[in-house]
Amino acid sequence: MTRTPRLTSDTAACCWIPLFALRCETARRPELASLPLALLAPDDTRRLWQVAPLARRAGVKPGMTVSQAIGLCPALKLCEPDPVHYDEQFARLVAALVTVSPVVEPVELGRAYVGTDGLEWLYGSPQQIAKEIQMLSAECGVRNAECKGKRREANDPSLKFRTPHSAFRIGWGRGKFVSWVAASRAKPGGSVIVRPGEERKFLASQRLAVLPLDPDTHRRLLQLGVKTLGALVALPEEAVVSQFGRAGRRLWRLAAGLVSEPVVGRVVPEPIVAALTFFTPVGNRDLLAHALDKLVDRALGDPRRSGWRVQVVRVHAELEHGASWLVAATLKDPAATRERIAAPLKTQLERSPPAGAVERLVVEFTAFAPGTAELQLFARDAGAAARAGRRRALQSAAREIALRIRRPMLYHVIEVQPWSRLPERRYALIDFEP
Amino acid sequence: MRNGTDRLRALNAPQRVRVELDEQRRPRVVKREAGNEKRVESFGENWRMDDEWWRQPIVRRYVEVVLEGGGRVVLFEDLITGEWFVQMPT
Repeated sequence: MTRTPRLTSDTAACCWIPLFALRCETARRPELASLPLALLAPDDTRRLWQVAPLARRAGVKPGMTVSQAIGLCPALKLCEPDPVHYDEQFARLVAALVTVSPVVEPVELGRAYVGTDGLEWLYGSPQQIAKEIQMLSAECGVRNAECKGKRREANDPSLKFRTPHSAFRIGWGRGKFVSWVAASRAKPGGSVIVRPGEERKFLASQRLAVLPLDPDTHRRLLQLGVKTLGALVALPEEAVVSQFGRAGRRLWRLAAGLVSEPVVGRVVPEPIVAALTFFTPVGNRDLLAHALDKLVDRALGDPRRSGWRVQVVRVHAELEHGASWLVAATLKDPAATRERIAAPLKTQLERSPPAGAVERLVVEFTAFAPGTAELQLFARDAGAAARAGRRRALQSAAREIALRIRRPMLYHVIEVQPWSRLPERRYALIDFEP
Repeated sequence: MRNGTDRLRALNAPQRVRVELDEQRRPRVVKREAGNEKRVESFGENWRMDDEWWRQPIVRRYVEVVLEGGGRVVLFEDLITGEWFVQMPT
């Protein structure tokens, strides 16, 4: 694991697939595409998260309770969320985008910025860059129905993303805000380019809703008769600041095209994963918390973690009947102890538990921070060297055994369901891979 | 993202055996599938376990025995299928 270099780009291509999670569901089950469909919220399954256009026409909106929505649209088809699936699909899309530019900044499910500084030397004009991204998305299945471009290797893992071809929109411009607004104006499957110097003109006609506004500020601006960014910029900056404070200044500057936030990419380290498949699905929260502790311990024991503290940890679970559950925690102070890493996960487990019994639980460390100087002195030098020496000896012994016996014969004993009344479910052997 | 980290093999998995019962329906002789058979010399505790009635019910009658030669094992009868199994005591 190496330190993360800083990758930035002033020009950006915003790649956007609206209603990403819902589209993942309809891509997986095409028969749902013709139904008035809504997805339940992952953290509160009594409320709706994403709503398909057919259901919207009947008056159903995101955030409504299920009973309100059914009242408005009795034929509404409700879908349990599968956040792990959406996350995997989005990760594949991001992996595909990384093949165009090393500077990729994922923002939320279905939206990522691609830094395009310097790409003109590879692909040409912004239109050609957008076309290349579209073509790549076609190759990875995003626009597969229209794919006419060159083919990539079939075994490339980044090429397995699947969502309908009409979903992908691209906006290109200087800075993230302009490119995002451009993407929001693009037609499905198309792109909008905002050339440098044309930002103010382009933004002037856009609706106020494209700004990152809270509902109260939005309402107050509408009451003042401000409906477009042009109308906002027509007001003196100081007047907006006196009404809305520091946030007002930022909004005015965004609307005037004066703010150009660069795309910040990062090298994604290979996550450390520890997984456990239960013999029978587990619904008890105490038992899940216990399993969580064990998995965090196992992941902490991975030699790649040596000398590094964990900054971001994710837990996902496969539930009975094909649903899933996902929580993530970013530790303010990166940690290397089980208690501190597991605490925020357990809080989330209590606050929004899985909607069903868990069949498989996975802990992933996805971002790391270097240990403190003192820790590194020991962990990365002396301690790590000793561990590495022991590991080399183990590897060599394991290789020798495998050569002699011709099959893996070394295992770890791990706790699976130590609480189980069935003795065969309490402990298990797992392949020992030094 | 399934990988090699979760290839689990249950420890202490029950092994099917054939059992001859006495008149009180207690195991008298235990025959492993490998062929060797052993007499039961003494009995320890016995208990019944009902579990997972909401999914695929598990109903077992356990009996702890000492076999000839001194081996202590736990035998159980699956009361749904009528099959007998042997396990190591825990």
